[in-house]
This record gives sequence, structure tokens and C-alpha cells, in this order.
Amino acid sequence: MRSSLLSRSLAYLVLIVITFLSLVPTIYLIDVSFRNPVDSFSPALITPNPTIANYQTVFSDPSFLHNFLNSVIISLSAVMATILIAVFASFALSRIKIPARTLIFNVIISSLMIPFAALIVPLTVLLKNMGLLNNYLGLIGPFTAIGTPFGLLIIKSAMDNFPQELEEAAIMDGADNFYILWRIIVPLIRPSLFVIGIWQFLYTWNEFFLALVVMTQPSMKTVSLVPLQFQGPYLSDPGALFAVLTLVSVIPMVVYAAMQKWFVGGLMEGSIKG
Amino acid sequence: MTRYGQEVRRLGWVYVFPALALYAVFMIFPIIYNVVLAFSAHPFYSYFLTLFTDYVFHIAIINSVLWVFVTTLAQMALGFIIAVLLERFVLVGKSVFRTLLFLPMTITPTVIAIVFDAIYAPNYGLIYGVFARLGLASHFPTLLGSPVTATYAIMLVNVWQWVGFYVLLYSVGIANIDKELLDASEIDGAVGWSKVRYIYFPLVRGTHWSLFILGSIQALQQFPLIYLMTEGGPANSTQVLATYIFQKAFIEYNSPYASAISVILLLLAFVVASVPLVITRGDFSIGGRPRNA
Repeated sequence: MRSSLLSRSLAYLVLIVITFLSLVPTIYLIDVSFRNPVDSFSPALITPNPTIANYQTVFSDPSFLHNFLNSVIISLSAVMATILIAVFASFALSRIKIPARTLIFNVIISSLMIPFAALIVPLTVLLKNMGLLNNYLGLIGPFTAIGTPFGLLIIKSAMDNFPQELEEAAIMDGADNFYILWRIIVPLIRPSLFVIGIWQFLYTWNEFFLALVVMTQPSMKTVSLVPLQFQGPYLSDPGALFAVLTLVSVIPMVVYAAMQKWFVGGLMEGSIKG
Repeated sequence: MTRYGQEVRRLGWVYVFPALALYAVFMIFPIIYNVVLAFSAHPFYSYFLTLFTDYVFHIAIINSVLWVFVTTLAQMALGFIIAVLLERFVLVGKSVFRTLLFLPMTITPTVIAIVFDAIYAPNYGLIYGVFARLGLASHFPTLLGSPVTATYAIMLVNVWQWVGFYVLLYSVGIANIDKELLDASEIDGAVGWSKVRYIYFPLVRGTHWSLFILGSIQALQQFPLIYLMTEGGPANSTQVLATYIFQKAFIEYNSPYASAISVILLLLAFVVASVPLVITRGDFSIGGRPRNA
């Protein structure tokens, strides 16, 4: 690296400007939630007189906490199911090497090219006939189906990428394949599991289209739908609306910030082949 | 060759079954059912013919194609440039930049739509504030209110949200470039722009293709931002296939028509995703090097 001090400072300058611009909407989101009604919609990025009154307003009716619970249940279930299903399928394709494995892999991976919006109409009909509208499973099922191909792509390539010696010794010793999978293979590919887990969590937490048509009862709505419910009542109180928006955004932001090291590390570790 | 016994191989089918079952129920069945629905109104007449004369559908399909190329290429260009600056010049704080740029990816589209509505708003929005400070208040464009600018204003939000993801994957691609190759290129005198042009850019070819496919599919299924910011308006100018499907199915209760549009959307996605696969014969990976290298 022979980059001069001048070019390095220039690069920093450009990156700081870009990063700041990228942060402006987020800063604005949080700042409006601390504004009083008078200057809530003044064209300034930071208010001179912040207040926490909006949060008191929002928490005076904490019914939306129930929607948080819905999202937690749905997201965590979909994350667990996706990882489990993808790990088992990858084991069958990468290690046990069942016949037709390349075909099966390509077929499942091809669903990465399906724009989900194109399936929304038949899926709604299907879920209605299965009695899964306004039911957690009505979202967990499709979310897991969407996450599985990506999980398979990453986990299988992680399994392909590490040497077989360790497990071969275990097979010789007569260890059963459950033990081999969960005690030998899975600990070694943990970084990829983090990548899938975090990605799938962000996706399920923020998914909007399917949640909009599947969860029509207010008590079943997920967090991504909550802002719509508050837009009407808080029309004249933008500060309170933005307090709701900030609360909705805090969880995924914190989850990502706390786990980004593993997410980036997992991505860096193995090149993802497809 | 596998060392697992015959018994375990039978178990392999059990292990792969859930993935295949999900695929059949939630992917294959809906695709087939789309076609069935599209022809359900009348056995010999389908809505595919109606689509030819539906001018809103024409707007929607043109906008969808526009979304694919404008957002994906903008995200790739920005992501690549930022990643090169990060990987080449930044020694301290790389992960801080990456994390902050990725932050918009964690925010719910509903929140994003409401925030950007306020940012774009005339009379009190943040952008209006900049115009007013420059004494240009009377020239402020109503970005979401004009059929000319509305689509691009929403695309900009998409780019803002996704750019951090592209930076991350390009960083992965650049980090995986062979160090010896980089050193050799410096000895050969490749510096500055020529290094970016002849070393970094071609060596992350796999990342380019992966991101192009990923971005295209993401652009084709963009629904929340458009639905929440303009509902396809003004005068249907921001309508895309996804929003038009929603309007036909859930507002006009015409599922067969919506299914016909869905089939077109599937075909469009298939074409867009196949082109890179055919050009490269499927030989690429996000990590940078081709699979068979």
C-alpha cells in the first residue's frame, strides 16, 4: 500500500460525507420523535428544544407492544426453521451425497429468482384455504420457504469448503450421523449460520407485503404494519408518530449493530458459490 | 466419494424432504395456480389478451424494467466505488463505515416511507429547507407529486436503503482478491485509476453478476415503498407490476387479472436473471473467483 497521505485523507473525506448523507434520514427520524408539536415539521435536521413528551404519549397506550410480540414470535420461529431445514438439506446434499443432489440443489436455488410479489395472489388463496390467515403459521411457512434457498446456498458451500478428515475419523469410530452433523460439522460452519440467521431475522422483521394481506386483524399485525395504524390517530401529532417509528426501528438496528461483526465475518470467511 | 453407509443415504432423503416440501407448497404450487387462475374467468379467454390494451399495465411493465436497471446499476456503481475507497485507503474505522452505511437495511419500509414522505414534502420537508436556505424556495419541485419525478424519487430511497449491502458484498469480493496479484500489479506500475479499472473491477466479476441478479429480483418485488409513498400515483405514473397486482387483487378483487400480471412478472424475472447466467454459463460466485478456477 503506497497510497499517499493526501489521497488517503481525500478518501476519508469522501466517505465521511457519503456516510453522513446516508445517516440524515435516520437522524431526522429519531430527532422528530423528540420534537414538540410546534416545530415538529420545521425543515431542520436537529431541533433546538427536544422533549420526551411524545414517548409519554405513545406509552400511555402500550397496546402496540402486542404487535412486537407477534413479530418476535414469527421472526424467531422463521429463523430457527430456516436454519434447521437448510442445515439438514445441506448435510444430505454436501455430505451424504444423495443421488440427484445437483438437480435438487439447482431446483431449490432457482427459487432465489422468483420475485415474491408474483406469488402473493395464489399464496393468499392457499393460506385462506388452509385456514392460516391471521395465524402465525401463515407467515412463518412462506418466510421459511423464502429463506431456505439462501440458507442452502450459504450453508452448503460452507460444508463443501471444509475438509472431510474430521468427520471421517468419527464415521470410522461408528458415531451416528446426528452426532457428526451437530457436534462436528455445525460448530465448524457457525459463521455461515450467523449470516443466515441475521439476514433472515431482518427480512422477516421488516417484511410488509405478505404481512399486509395475511394479518388483517389488528391483534395479529406485525411491527412492520404498526406505523399504518398510528398514521391516522397521530395525524395531528407527528412527534408521537415518529416516536412509534423510532421504537419500531430500534430493535433491528440494535440487533444488527450488535451482531454485525459475525455477519460480516461470516460473509468474509467463505466465498459464496452459486 | 462419501463414507456414509447405505442406511444413512436413505436418511438423506428424509433430511432434504422439508426443504423440497416447502419449495413445492410455497413456490411451485403458487406458480401453477397463477396460470390456473389467469384462465379461470373463461376457459377460452384469458386476461393475457386484455393486458395488451391495458395502458396502466404498459406503464407498470416499463416502470418495472426501469426499476431493474436504474436501481441495480446505481447501487452497484455506488457500492463498488465506496468499497474500493474503503478497502484501498481506510485503515482505521472500516467496520464503522460499513455498519453505518448498512443501517438503512435494518429499517422497516413502512418507517422509511413515512420518513421520506416528510423529507420530500413541500413547505416543511428537509429538502425544501435546503432550497429555502439557498433562496430557491419558489423553485422547489414537488418530487412525489409530479408524474415526471415521482418514480425516481422512490428509486432514490431504494438506492439509499440498499447501498450499504452492496458495499459489504463488494468488500467481500475485494478482500478475496489474491494478494499476490495485487502486489504483482503494483510492480507492473498499476496505480490509481488504472488499478481500479484493470485489477479491482474485473476481479470482482462474480460479485457484479451476483449483485445484478439479486438487485434485479429485489427491484422487481419492490412493493412497500411505492404503495406507501404514492400508491402508484400520481395518475398511475409510479405503478409497477407488483403494485398493479395488489391493486387488481386486493382493491378491485379481480384475482384472475392479478394472476395474469403475476405470470408476466415471473417471466420478466426469469429473463432478467437468465441473461447473466447464460453469459457466464453460471460460473461465478460472490467471493470473486469463478467456481472452476
